[in-house]
Amino acid sequence: MKPVQLFCWHFMAYPYLDKDFDEKQYSGWVTVPNGLWDNHKARGLYQEYIDQLAYADELGFDGMVLNEHHQNIYGLMPSPNLIASALTQRTARGKIIVLGNLLPLHLNPMRVAEEYAMLDQMSNGRLIAGFAPGGGPETFNYDVPSANTREKFWEAADLIVRSWTEDGPFAHEGRYFPLRYVNLWPKPLQQPFPPVWIPGSRSPSTMAEVAKRGYCYFLSSRSHGGETHRAQQEFAAVLEKHGDQYHPFRFGILMSTYVAETDQQARQECEEGVWYFLKNCLKGHLRREGRQLTYGPGVPYIPAAAWREYLKGYTPGRKLLGDVENWEELDASQSIIVGSPETVHRRIQNLIEKAKVGNLLIQFQLGNMPDHLARKSMKLFAEKVAPALRHDSLKQFTKEFPGINVVQAGRHSIERARSRNQRAQGLDSRNRHRCPAALSSWLRRRPLGERKLDAVS
Amino acid sequence: MPFHEKLAQHASVIAPAHPGCAQTDENKDIDIIEDVVFHYLEVLDALKLTQFDLVGSCVGGWIAAEIAARHPEKVRKLVLIGATGLFVEGALIGDVFMMAQPEYGSSYASLREMLFSSADQPNALEMFPDGKGRAGGRGAQISDVEIRLTHRLQTPYFYNRPLRNRLHRISCPSLVVWGAKDGFVPRSHGETYAKLIPGAEELKVIPGAGHSVHVEKPDEIAKLVLDFLGE
Repeated sequence: MKPVQLFCWHFMAYPYLDKDFDEKQYSGWVTVPNGLWDNHKARGLYQEYIDQLAYADELGFDGMVLNEHHQNIYGLMPSPNLIASALTQRTARGKIIVLGNLLPLHLNPMRVAEEYAMLDQMSNGRLIAGFAPGGGPETFNYDVPSANTREKFWEAADLIVRSWTEDGPFAHEGRYFPLRYVNLWPKPLQQPFPPVWIPGSRSPSTMAEVAKRGYCYFLSSRSHGGETHRAQQEFAAVLEKHGDQYHPFRFGILMSTYVAETDQQARQECEEGVWYFLKNCLKGHLRREGRQLTYGPGVPYIPAAAWREYLKGYTPGRKLLGDVENWEELDASQSIIVGSPETVHRRIQNLIEKAKVGNLLIQFQLGNMPDHLARKSMKLFAEKVAPALRHDSLKQFTKEFPGINVVQAGRHSIERARSRNQRAQGLDSRNRHRCPAALSSWLRRRPLGERKLDAVS
Repeated sequence: MPFHEKLAQHASVIAPAHPGCAQTDENKDIDIIEDVVFHYLEVLDALKLTQFDLVGSCVGGWIAAEIAARHPEKVRKLVLIGATGLFVEGALIGDVFMMAQPEYGSSYASLREMLFSSADQPNALEMFPDGKGRAGGRGAQISDVEIRLTHRLQTPYFYNRPLRNRLHRISCPSLVVWGAKDGFVPRSHGETYAKLIPGAEELKVIPGAGHSVHVEKPDEIAKLVLDFLGE
């Protein structure tokens, strides 16, 4: 058993918006005018953010988390793999979690398979590979159509894992990505393949697909009340249905925190960054103000039936996270946990106890929070909060999940994924035609050199 | 809808719902407009219809034009109302998906404004009420027609570039009708249809009406269509 894994997540927000942004601009996503980008101020911004992530590694976090967003002020990482690549060279210890590459936005999933394999090699086997379908805004940015996005997504994800685990060249006869020669160079370093994490927002079908394949489920919700606990229970039930067993490291959540010397000081120091994040970065995403593009009837990948189902428990115009009006309301949402080391420890420990979650993906830098404050909070967390969380969680997990060997459970998952791949391809181990007929006959031919000699003689 | 009922008083009307609309199952084989055309050719064959008049609005107009360009011998007369389907440079078809996302979590005013002459036009309010919006409103089926089918199709949304160069194959008399205040499909699309379909009359523009001209003015449009289809 191992203690709770604590990862540092950076979204890389654009921090230089004027104070009247919310008043003047309709959205922070998709249509937010890029004329607002200020090259003078933004010079060195990526460096500052990468340095913060490298600092997390120094402080002993279990890893660093990146994700993909396009054309907004919320996250300046259209290509998280570029940042991951930099981190392979700046850090030596922690995991590098890309959560994830948005598969439907890529022309071909092999590009993701290749880049992830490169990152795994470059990081000496530290990659955790996330696959995500992309949210509503990205489907607008990239004109991703379709009710069939999910189908396409899983075909891509399965092809990537197959390309990591099965020797090539083989032909992939998929509906969306037919390929004659799948033959990955380089292979990933971790064997049989890097851990795969899939984000979801409690959709039962995503949970089932994750369970089938033995992957880790990541809850992408930003608020943590009873729903986090419910999501864990739902996922555990789905795993059981698939003949598998829940343990804390099959599940991860996103949270935000700010730690300072006292509760009062913590609030004082982070408040500007928090409100910048809530009012600017979430506008168009988790605010009813303007037009929320993340989920709804016009989002191309939301099937009509899913939207109708969603509406049953939904009050139109209800407040979203970014609509909170005061600190007390925000505090109650448990989205951003602010306070002294004692307060933050108590609240997070409470969350772990209830939700039995083993992977905490924690955002420290919020909105336009200055570098020195983000670093101070990370340091206090690493020194004063993390040790206690690790201690308590190890005790809890050992007691609650006595029969589970985390490594073995992982291996079990991998075997399941493998046999699933084979079943999906209609192959068994005795009868595998890896090459298309034309290719295998070509491979049987003699080398070019010999043939040249033949021609001369 | 009242428009269909008016037509049915004088003609035999078949108004099929697209796959995935009006609570029917989605057809998972539909990726491009060609798949929709073949779906309807199967429907027409099943109904044993060898020759017919085709009347289509919005995406329906697009499908009608695609069928008429492929099978001119089947179509006796063609009516296109605010039809999508064409690429016209500099005149993008509106982003109905963006507009279908409610403002403030509950207002469909901009969707109504795009698809009707104004946001508070009575038919528009009936079809796309605020609050739970289209899924809760009585107009759910119609909004499905506008949006669901197109969700299935590959981008670009709402047009098929090659269609324009195929319009000359349509051999029947044709009528193209447009709402003067169409905020979804620019009028130049109507003008292009009217210009490139050899048997088309001059574009008929209906004053005061928006994109859903046959919903806003069912009597007037039904009369116009019936007069054109005539004997």
